Amino acid sequence: MEFHLNPSSGVATYQQLVQQVHQALQLGLLEPGDQLPTAQQVVASLAINPNTVLKAYRDLEREGLVRPRPGMGTFVVGRLPRTDPAAQTRFRKSMSAWLRSARAAGLSAEEIEAIYRTALRDCSQEEIA
Amino acid sequence: MTMAIEAFGVGRRYGRRWALTDCTLSIPAGRVVGLVGPNGAGKSTLLHLAVGLLEPSAGTISVLDQGARSGPSQLERIGFLAQDSPIYARLTVAQHVRMGQLLNRTWDAAFAASRIKNLGLDPSQRAGTMSGGQRAQLALTLAVAKRPELLVLDEPVAALDPLARREFLQTLMEIVAVEGVSVVLSSHLMADVERVCDYLVVLVAGRVALTGDVDELLALHHRLTGPRRDVARMPAHQLVIEQSHVDKQTTLIVRSQEPILDPVWNVTPVTLDDLALAYMRQARDSAGPSSNGLELAR
Amino acid sequence: MIRFAWLQSRTQTLVAAFVLAALAVVAAITGIQLSHLYATLVAHCHTGCDLATSQYLSHDQVMARALDLIAQAAPALIGLFWGAPLIAREIETGTYRLAWTQGVSRSRWVIIKLAVVGLASATLAGLLTLTITWWYGSVDKLTTTPYAVFDRRDITPVGYAVFAFAAGALLGTVIRRVLPAMAATLGAYVTARVGTALWIRPHLLSPIQTTLSLRGAGPTGQAHLGVGSQNGGAVTLFAQGDGPHNSWTLSSHLLDSAGRQPTTRQLAAFLHDYCPNFRGPGAPPPSGQGVVQVVGPDAGRPCLDQAAKAFHLLVTYQPADRYWTLQWLETGLFVALALVASAGCYWWATHRTS
Repeated sequence: MEFHLNPSSGVATYQQLVQQVHQALQLGLLEPGDQLPTAQQVVASLAINPNTVLKAYRDLEREGLVRPRPGMGTFVVGRLPRTDPAAQTRFRKSMSAWLRSARAAGLSAEEIEAIYRTALRDCSQEEIA
Repeated sequence: MTMAIEAFGVGRRYGRRWALTDCTLSIPAGRVVGLVGPNGAGKSTLLHLAVGLLEPSAGTISVLDQGARSGPSQLERIGFLAQDSPIYARLTVAQHVRMGQLLNRTWDAAFAASRIKNLGLDPSQRAGTMSGGQRAQLALTLAVAKRPELLVLDEPVAALDPLARREFLQTLMEIVAVEGVSVVLSSHLMADVERVCDYLVVLVAGRVALTGDVDELLALHHRLTGPRRDVARMPAHQLVIEQSHVDKQTTLIVRSQEPILDPVWNVTPVTLDDLALAYMRQARDSAGPSSNGLELAR
Repeated sequence: MIRFAWLQSRTQTLVAAFVLAALAVVAAITGIQLSHLYATLVAHCHTGCDLATSQYLSHDQVMARALDLIAQAAPALIGLFWGAPLIAREIETGTYRLAWTQGVSRSRWVIIKLAVVGLASATLAGLLTLTITWWYGSVDKLTTTPYAVFDRRDITPVGYAVFAFAAGALLGTVIRRVLPAMAATLGAYVTARVGTALWIRPHLLSPIQTTLSLRGAGPTGQAHLGVGSQNGGAVTLFAQGDGPHNSWTLSSHLLDSAGRQPTTRQLAAFLHDYCPNFRGPGAPPPSGQGVVQVVGPDAGRPCLDQAAKAFHLLVTYQPADRYWTLQWLETGLFVALALVASAGCYWWATHRTS
């Protein structure tokens, strides 16, 4: 796989790398047994700090997704739980219904987005608390 | 822990003008450290002090746990790339490599040769006819081939075009990945610092305004937007670094160990750029007008 | 470090060596011709020697002038092009930041650069002056005294070159820019040379004083005496004397029998008393540059005889046999100055340069 960076996202570089591996796993682009690019390769293509790459790989290792093999590289060993496609469809449908009713009530796209963000944050804070 | 650079109350005067005053900092080894700050903050002076080109007018500075001017064996432990990558215009690439070999006992000739080859530099070309990017790459090769424990780079990419800049940083990061060398680099290009550095030092008017691990710093700071509010009413553990107010809205950059739960705030992450700028402004404003005249001589 | 210093100065040294070699070849060819000519034309001449000599001397005038110019200019050029840029160029182009952060201490770097290029300067100047002195050997014998070409022959040019180099290095280090340093070096060099020639060289050894009688002296000879006017001024008594053959006359003064230098008024009184025919109303002061004699030796003889009785000359000079001592002393003086300048350059580069 190949990494890319979005410098203006405000997301720390190592988190971007972690997220990209997650996405690749979710989309099936990476499977157990696949090798991740070496730190040197990532560094040479992105001009980023090697410690950042190592930090990202350590995070992935802690999640049980990858494992380094000394002298060989870092390999994918785990899968991300992929949610049931049927469940995904179900939630998208109910969300679409909610959106239509919000539109009908006169809410603009920005307002809808703000509501969604706030609700999402409230949810995650409840989890933390 | 080994310290790449450690300074205690270091000051440097040029004539009657202080380019650096009372600078105390510890930069750990094994990191890629970005030294940022406005022009005239004393970045070059600090780095020149570290590599022994300058002697401090006050205080002490040590590099890799040894006095900065403790002799040639200390110089071999440091690879220095000065601003604008000075090289001898009349000497060829091969003669520069020969120079490195003659002047450093620790010189790695095989490494230098393979670097020159990989860079596609013509060994018989005079350095004066090379492009800025090639110069910088040659100078970096000279600095690295002496197998230093610490690379000190003074504005290494400031004069380079975007492509050469990216290539230079790629080479630098590859070297860091393979050789495990510590790096301290000064720059006023925050985008580059954000990419390559994992440790940040913000220097303003000769003083350290902010220092720390980049990821930790990013996790510690938040941008808060919300209805207009008096900063004095913020909780004690939320340190306001920067504030701006318009009619009904307040935007803050806040330092806080704990997550910010107050629902009136819309909390977003800050970029390293925002962070460095906020601390530079804060340091400038708190230093008062007297420090505005503090300009660096070189 | 020595090999790096050589690597850095190789091109300039090789260029200088090439120029020197070319000059030596030309000098050898013309010099051998010249000494051959000397042997055939002048050495064994019995009659018409003046003609033979002038024919001989006119032979290689271009070469002679060129070599004299080189002998005069070479030390200054060494100071300008090797001394001044030695450290100034490193500072000006920023390469000192590269050089002084390698695994060689700055003191070692400065000392070796000074030593290597300084030695090259001395060698170049030495070979140059050897060539020129050899070439001029027979010409000098005919045209001049050794002291007249004191600073262009034998070993003094080596001292000058070493001094010019070290002064250039010091000024370059202090001034930090090549062109101004070159200008300052030229100024310092010329000042040192002129100052030495005027005020120091005459006193390196305390000169010998001797009195010369003016009896029988005319406008020519070891002691000259005459009545005339200088630059159209008042008519007065002129007397001048030289030291012995090939010596260097520093000064000569007219003294009266009491050993005092006569004042202008005393001289006027003397002319009034003994040489009345030279200052009558019908004899306006002659015009013209320099000393214009207003009387030939015969017409003025009674007057001049009176002057010879009343006055004598005190001549101060350096004798011919001190030539080599003075050569060594002056060379030594400049080498010592060079060492002082080098020490200054070293100190400045290691303590004041950043």
